[in-house]
Amino acid sequence: MEAGDGGVDRVVDSKDLQQQSKAFDKLTDRVEDRQLDSSRAQSAMASIAASAEAEKNAMRLREKELAAVKINAAEVDIIANELELDKKVAERTLREHKGDAVAAIRSLLH
Amino acid sequence: MGASLPPKEANLFKLIVKSYETKQYKKGLKAAEAILKKFPDHGETLSMKGLTLNCMDRKSEAYELVRLGLKNDVKSHVCWHVYGLLYRSDREYREAIKCYRNALRIDPDNIEILRDLSLLQAQMRDLTGFVETRQQLLTLKPNHRMNWIGFAVANHLCSKYFVAKAVEILEAYEGTLEDDYPPDNERCEHGEMLLYKVLLMHIIHVREKHGLFKELCLLQGIKSVVLISLLEECGFLERALEELHKKEPKIVDKLVSKEQEVSLLVKLGRLEEGANHYKALLAMNPDNYRSILCLLRIPLDFLQGDKFCAAAANYIKPLLTKGVPSLFSDLSPLYDQPGKADILEQLILELEHSISGDGRYPDRTEKEPPSTLLWILFFLAQHYDRRGQYDIALSKIDEAIQHTPTVIDLYSVKSRILKHAGDLVAAASLADEARCMDLADRYINSESVKRMLQADQVALAEKIAVLFTKDGDQHNNLHDMQCMWYELASGESYFRQGDLGRALKKFLAVEKHYADITEDQFDFHSYCLRKMTLRAYVDMLRFQDRLHSHAYFHKAAAGAIRCYLKLYDSPLNSPAEVEDNTSKATQKKKMKKQRKAERAKKEAEEKNEGSSASGTSKSGKRHIKPVDPDPYGEKLLKTDDPLSEATKYLKLLQKNSSDSLETHLLSFEVNMRKQKILLAFQAVKQLLRLDADNPDSHCCLIKFFHKVSSMPAPVSDAEKLVWSVLEAERPSISQLHEKTLSEANKIFLGNHEDSLMHRAAVAEMLYTLDPTKKLEAVKIIEDSSNKIVPTNGALGSVMEWKLKDCIAVHKLLDNVLIDTDAALRWKVRCAEYFPYSIYFEGSRSSAVNNSLNNLDTETPLNGGANGPDIIQSGNAFTSNGKLEAFKNLKI
Repeated sequence: MEAGDGGVDRVVDSKDLQQQSKAFDKLTDRVEDRQLDSSRAQSAMASIAASAEAEKNAMRLREKELAAVKINAAEVDIIANELELDKKVAERTLREHKGDAVAAIRSLLH
Repeated sequence: MGASLPPKEANLFKLIVKSYETKQYKKGLKAAEAILKKFPDHGETLSMKGLTLNCMDRKSEAYELVRLGLKNDVKSHVCWHVYGLLYRSDREYREAIKCYRNALRIDPDNIEILRDLSLLQAQMRDLTGFVETRQQLLTLKPNHRMNWIGFAVANHLCSKYFVAKAVEILEAYEGTLEDDYPPDNERCEHGEMLLYKVLLMHIIHVREKHGLFKELCLLQGIKSVVLISLLEECGFLERALEELHKKEPKIVDKLVSKEQEVSLLVKLGRLEEGANHYKALLAMNPDNYRSILCLLRIPLDFLQGDKFCAAAANYIKPLLTKGVPSLFSDLSPLYDQPGKADILEQLILELEHSISGDGRYPDRTEKEPPSTLLWILFFLAQHYDRRGQYDIALSKIDEAIQHTPTVIDLYSVKSRILKHAGDLVAAASLADEARCMDLADRYINSESVKRMLQADQVALAEKIAVLFTKDGDQHNNLHDMQCMWYELASGESYFRQGDLGRALKKFLAVEKHYADITEDQFDFHSYCLRKMTLRAYVDMLRFQDRLHSHAYFHKAAAGAIRCYLKLYDSPLNSPAEVEDNTSKATQKKKMKKQRKAERAKKEAEEKNEGSSASGTSKSGKRHIKPVDPDPYGEKLLKTDDPLSEATKYLKLLQKNSSDSLETHLLSFEVNMRKQKILLAFQAVKQLLRLDADNPDSHCCLIKFFHKVSSMPAPVSDAEKLVWSVLEAERPSISQLHEKTLSEANKIFLGNHEDSLMHRAAVAEMLYTLDPTKKLEAVKIIEDSSNKIVPTNGALGSVMEWKLKDCIAVHKLLDNVLIDTDAALRWKVRCAEYFPYSIYFEGSRSSAVNNSLNNLDTETPLNGGANGPDIIQSGNAFTSNGKLEAFKNLKI
């Protein structure tokens, strides 16, 4: 099966391959994009902008809460080391558990 | 962008950029050099030149130039952007993101940089970042369609809570279109976008079902078949059926619509109707083989008892007459349902008896062709193989071979039976025999390669495998084609033989394939948004997210971790170091020889490149294959910290295969060695969650707390914290509640007295907890009894113990409990149970039968064309008298 057709295929292949690869090389990422109607676009933007603000505010509040928690820097290091986590993750978890290292670790072990 | 250049040079600079984008690198290079002649220190030009060179495969120069350019002009966002692009082309994504962010600090509203950043964020799945960047892009350029779609998709991906937002965004976008309708040339893409929106709505059930259906109906210009499938996907099965009936006159392909109808009916549980429609299908198209099978096969899953027997008989008989080799595989899932295997056995034996008697089925008058008996025997052989009755299986298959020696499938099955029975060498040689019967069949070639690898005949396997690879770089071709089964099997074989270096190379090669597949998605982030193939895009992303949970990756990662564990436990330096130091002189000589050989190889290659570059099958770009600097994995073995290497793969396993027991077993082993107590404890918890009764879980539990109890009192803050956590957690482990470890061990034995593997686990733990109790531990193992499995099988009986388990117990006795006498007794005992096993040197295995039997790698092999010759010198086993006659028959 393979032996017979192999010879013919190879000849065709090489020309095909060359053409293919030439075409492939020419492929670029450049694209001309169509423009939408500006005024309609602007009003559409406004409609979705409102909800974005509310979300941002909620997040800001949460961050403030967490920043206020008192934590022990040494414990952050221990958690990061023992559980092989990023320091930021360790710190955040500790804050979320109000500085209780044992509770923080237990939650991470689940 | 080149602001400080005079107008002529500024134009040249723009030309460089344009040339880069349109891949006209030589042009860009010329322009860059023209500028640099006058302004040799212009940072941005240097950077662009570097970038252009990078695309011309001059990497080291590229990096130099880009860095120099950046140094000269640190405040230029162009330089940072280019640096980022350079990193990206080398897959250094984190560095690239850093560079982009630096660029954005200088020029925060630069669209190009934002776009590139968003692509990277999508690739790295930094989804919150992705949403932010997309939002910024939309705010800056709200009149670009892609920005709307991109923002919607980003929201969808970010989390399910934002899917509603995504729908909002799409609706806002729709509001921007003139008359709510897109221009003609965008019709198809608009349709795709709507279908995507429907998918999102399905996810959040925002509209009640009725409303959603109305929405679907409004999708104008959507092909009926697509609409119906979409309805089916969203679970609106009744509606889909209605739609199908409505549109039936318009659907041209009747066969397809009928098949879709049946599938809907089956899904709705209306089986009778479904069956009737299948009959209609049959009438329409009597040769529709698929229909017949589906019609009769599905009931076999649901029926029981006598009804099952009757239905099975109806299904099987015509297929036996026709001679369908895959019949057993087809029925194989039924064997998991209790009782059905016995019924099938009775049935087939009856057929066999009847056919060998008067050549007819029990209730028929027509005579069956002689081949029917052959296929019955073939089926029975596989049946008994599945039930573990290898003697009977072999006798049936031998009968079949005697009946018709020219059927290749028979030899394949016999090879498989031998493999299950434990004679890997005979299995390999038989598979090779089958291969030689049809040298053009790639499947059989692969099967024989697999068997050879299982029998640890790696060099031979390689030779056979390359018979089917493309000319040129034979061995590398298997790697380029991502032939993972081959790499895994080789890796596992090398591991068994103790060649850790080569094993590691194979496992890491498989891992690299997965990294490549992950990498491949990069171009689609921009492409799919442009082409609006959003549903397919999201599916692709989901697929990529799950990619590393694939079984092959799991095997490769587990294999690599085991290699590293072995490396840690018995580092190469200890005994080998002595050798190394004394033969330093010979080492130097070796190095020189190697370097010479490599140089000669490179020269030969370059010569070949030169001659073949003149128009053969080489494509436009010259692919210079990098010479592998470490073909035997020696560098990998020299790693300083095998455990941290292992951890890399462990993390991937933990993330993607967290429901696999093996993942946590490996985690336990690695973390205990790393002294990461809490992580080891986490592994134990996961094991208990998944399967607390598993013998391995029990072992890890006992080992862990034994270690903890033998640790000194905590001194440092870290130790104290770990201690308090363990104290807090211990009460939640019921197995240890108010018991000592040895008591828990005894209770475990009591609960699982009849299971060999559980007893072995208890024995091992007894010894671990108290090494003086070695004899007692051995006794627990030796007292295990191999019971007969209660079945209603017609022929012979099935013993409970599995070969794999018995081998594991032998290793336990030999290596852990270190009782060589007990190990020997065990071996003799198991040789009785498994007469075909090479490991136990069973009486009928090729290990005993042929002292000459050595299909080892040194045997001269003439490329497989002289197959039967090799077999002859090896196994007297396979000759059943007919081989001689068969040789003459061979094509």
